[in-house]
Amino acid sequence: MSNVKQISVFVDNRPDQAAGVMRIIKESGVNLRALSLADTADFGIIRLIANDTEKAVEILRAASYAVNVTEVLAISIPDTPGQLSRVLDVLGQDNVNVEYMYSFLGTSDRAVSFVIRVDDNAQAAEALNRGGIIQLTENDIAEM
Amino acid sequence: MEKYWNKEIECASREDMKKLQDERLVAQVKHVYENVKYYRDLMDEKGVKPEDIKGTEDLHKLPFLSKADLREAYPYGLLAKPLGDCVRIHSTSGTTGKRVVAFYTQNDVDMWEDCCARAITAAGGNEDDVVQVAYGYGLFTGGMGLHGGSHKAGCLTLPMSSGNTERQIQFMQDLGSTILCCTPSYAAYIGETVAEMGIKPEDLKLKAGIFGAEPWTEEMRRSIEKSLGIKAYDIYGLTESSGPGVAFECSEQTGMHINEDNFIPEIIDPETGEVLPEGQVGELVFTSITKEAFPLLRYRTRDLCVLSRKKCSCGRTLIKMAKPMGRSDDMMIIRGVNVFPSQIETVLIEQGYSPNYLIEVDRVNNTDTLDISVEMNPDQFSDKVKDMQKQERDLAVAIKTMLGINPKVHLVSPKSITRSEGKAVRVIDRRKLHD
Repeated sequence: MSNVKQISVFVDNRPDQAAGVMRIIKESGVNLRALSLADTADFGIIRLIANDTEKAVEILRAASYAVNVTEVLAISIPDTPGQLSRVLDVLGQDNVNVEYMYSFLGTSDRAVSFVIRVDDNAQAAEALNRGGIIQLTENDIAEM
Repeated sequence: MEKYWNKEIECASREDMKKLQDERLVAQVKHVYENVKYYRDLMDEKGVKPEDIKGTEDLHKLPFLSKADLREAYPYGLLAKPLGDCVRIHSTSGTTGKRVVAFYTQNDVDMWEDCCARAITAAGGNEDDVVQVAYGYGLFTGGMGLHGGSHKAGCLTLPMSSGNTERQIQFMQDLGSTILCCTPSYAAYIGETVAEMGIKPEDLKLKAGIFGAEPWTEEMRRSIEKSLGIKAYDIYGLTESSGPGVAFECSEQTGMHINEDNFIPEIIDPETGEVLPEGQVGELVFTSITKEAFPLLRYRTRDLCVLSRKKCSCGRTLIKMAKPMGRSDDMMIIRGVNVFPSQIETVLIEQGYSPNYLIEVDRVNNTDTLDISVEMNPDQFSDKVKDMQKQERDLAVAIKTMLGINPKVHLVSPKSITRSEGKAVRVIDRRKLHD
């Protein structure tokens, strides 16, 4: 499987909450590859892809944060118009329901990467394979 | 085998107890009438003379005392003994208004400590036990009351007072504490900290806890029992009538036995003042029949509960009071509905949340609003916003089912709600600030 581990952190919807999480990550020396923040009126969920998931989870839990780890897909596509639309078409044809997605920059300036959260990773991975879309592995992410 | 501190009293026949109460009541009414002008005026106003009171059946003829009277008579207006005969003062926390002070003679202290010794014995305490008293010491009656009771019962007494939770647990381990006395909210916090420190309940020698001074639910009891590996006993009291130990729980855990050789209970209709028959919910009223310095007759506690004379498996014949549903001061009227924080607590624990919550009531455009902040459960955390919002909605529905009104539920981070080492503050009613 080429799934990638994503860390989610629960934060209150108050000033300095996201900054608190980042300070802890900074002190641990873990490097972040991707990040998105979803927010509601009450709380936010920070989603992270890190180069050392285990270490990041350990230090966040030690600081009393609610943390969980989910497997998500990560893809890399050329940075040209229409590429993301193609990806979504491929998933849509196979009836894969996308919960959420967010983009991040890889090391190449001609490609862009996305994290995709779906309910059925295996089904989505198969659809992406068939559509010829490059999936990133944990190693790819760690080496970025 | 059930152990009693004072079997003769705790297991007395109804006739013997009534005889004792009658004698003590008659003498007490006379003592109060002669020495407390404030109450004598109330009796005169009502046209009641001491000789009209011949026994407990005449109790209803006496006027009530309320917290307002205590405030009006502050500080010496209800004192029935010269200050020279008094040896101690305690005071209420004053959170609901002006403080109330209570005076004690040496006999009063002895009686109070005797009541606490009964509670400790009922929780299985004896000279082989180490009792860790983590109630606050000082003006608050919790610390000194259980401390004195523990001494009297011959237990090795550890006067920790509240706070410094890690040290509490360190001493608990090093000195092998077997009985913990504190507020239920502090017991829950200690339980949480024990788990955080990586200590298992079975690594502690604790076997029992005596928790009181604030309302707590059956669900909270089970949760504390599990986190500390103990049996948790309730204890009831109020500064106005001495302190903890007015009533205490036995192994049956189905209500608290009232030390009715010292305190005669009545249940009244809080609106009309009418005495209600056994088994009906109403306001608890106490008459102190042995206190010398600060003897309150028919004192309205504002606690709502039920009395029962059902036979208890522990062998005690002392009348039992159910866990108070809450102090009538704690009751909020929100959109015309009576709401107790304890009802919300029950739902939270049932739904797998921690008993740490904050209720905020306000009035917006002439409508009451009820907002409840609850610490999210890390085991239920999902990266999907819709899952978390569903948890909020599900909890709001469960609370609405219990209360009949719609709350707004806000999930907040674990450990973000301030932990209490004494009496927990659970409610902020902003409507009062607008008045």
